[in-house]
Amino acid sequence: MDAGPTTPLADSPVTASRRRILARTRLDFWLDALLLVAYTLAYSLGFTGIATHEWLGIGLGVVLLVHLTLHWDWVIRTTRKLFSPGGSGRFVWLINLLLLLSITLCIASGILISEVALPQLGITPPASSFWRQMHDTTATLTLILVPIHAALDWRWIVGVARRFAAWRPGRSR
Amino acid sequence: MKFFRHLAAVVLVVAVIVGLGMLWAHASGGGTGIGSGPRRAPSREALLRLEQIKAGAIRVRSDNGFDLADTGNLIRTCEIEAVLAAVVIAVSVVRRRRRRMRRTTTRDGATATKPLVL
Repeated sequence: MDAGPTTPLADSPVTASRRRILARTRLDFWLDALLLVAYTLAYSLGFTGIATHEWLGIGLGVVLLVHLTLHWDWVIRTTRKLFSPGGSGRFVWLINLLLLLSITLCIASGILISEVALPQLGITPPASSFWRQMHDTTATLTLILVPIHAALDWRWIVGVARRFAAWRPGRSR
Repeated sequence: MKFFRHLAAVVLVVAVIVGLGMLWAHASGGGTGIGSGPRRAPSREALLRLEQIKAGAIRVRSDNGFDLADTGNLIRTCEIEAVLAAVVIAVSVVRRRRRRMRRTTTRDGATATKPLVL
C-alpha cells in the first residue's frame, strides 16, 4: 500500500496514531452502516423471502459479535461510570443493554425456528411456539431499539460522514 | 490479542443470554425439543399456521431472491426506523439547545451580579 509522499511528519508517532484512529473510525462507520442495512433487509421478511431472511439473520449475528467486540472498551468504561457518583450515560447504557438482550434472543430464536437455513445444513430444529412467539416479540422490540441506538450517535455519524465527503485521495486528514 | 480477549468476553455474555432464554423456555414448557425426551404434539398455533399456509392466507416463499414486488414491506420498515430516529434526534437537539441557553443565562447572570473591581 502506498502511504503517499514521505515527509518527516509521516513517520512521527503522532501521525501513525492519528492514522490508526482514522482507520478505526472508518471501520466502525462502514461496519455500522452495513449492520443497519442488513438489519433493515432482514426485518423486511416479505421483501427478502424466508431463505434470505434466515441467512441474513445468521450473518447479522456474526457481524454483531464483531461490532460488540470492537466496542467492548466502551461497554466496560460506561458500566464502571454507572456506579460512580454522578455517573452519566445511563439512558444510552440501558438502551444498549435492552438491544443486546432483544437482538441476541431474536437471532437465537430465529435459528431455533429456522425453516430453510438449518435444514439446508442438515439440521432440523424442532418447531416450538415459545421460540416463534419470542422471535416475533424480540423482532418488534429491536425495530424500536435499533433506530434509537443509531440516532443516539447521530452527531458522530454526521461528523464522520462530513469528513468522508470532504476526503480526497492522497490528502491526509 | 486484545481483540480475541474481548471477543471471548462477548461470546460469554451472548452465551449467558441464550442460556437464560433456554431456561425461560424450559420453565414455561416451551423447551427446545432437543434431546431424547418424548416429542410433544404440535401446538394449536402451529396447526393454525399450517392451515393458513395451506389455505394461502400466509404466503411463504422459500426462494433465495428478493421480491421486488413487495418493496412496500421494506419501505414500511425504513419509515418506522426513520420516524423513530427523527424523534430521538429532535429530542437531542432540543435538549442541547435548552442546556446551552441555560448555561448562557447562568453566565450572563453571573457577569451581571459580579462586583466591578477597578
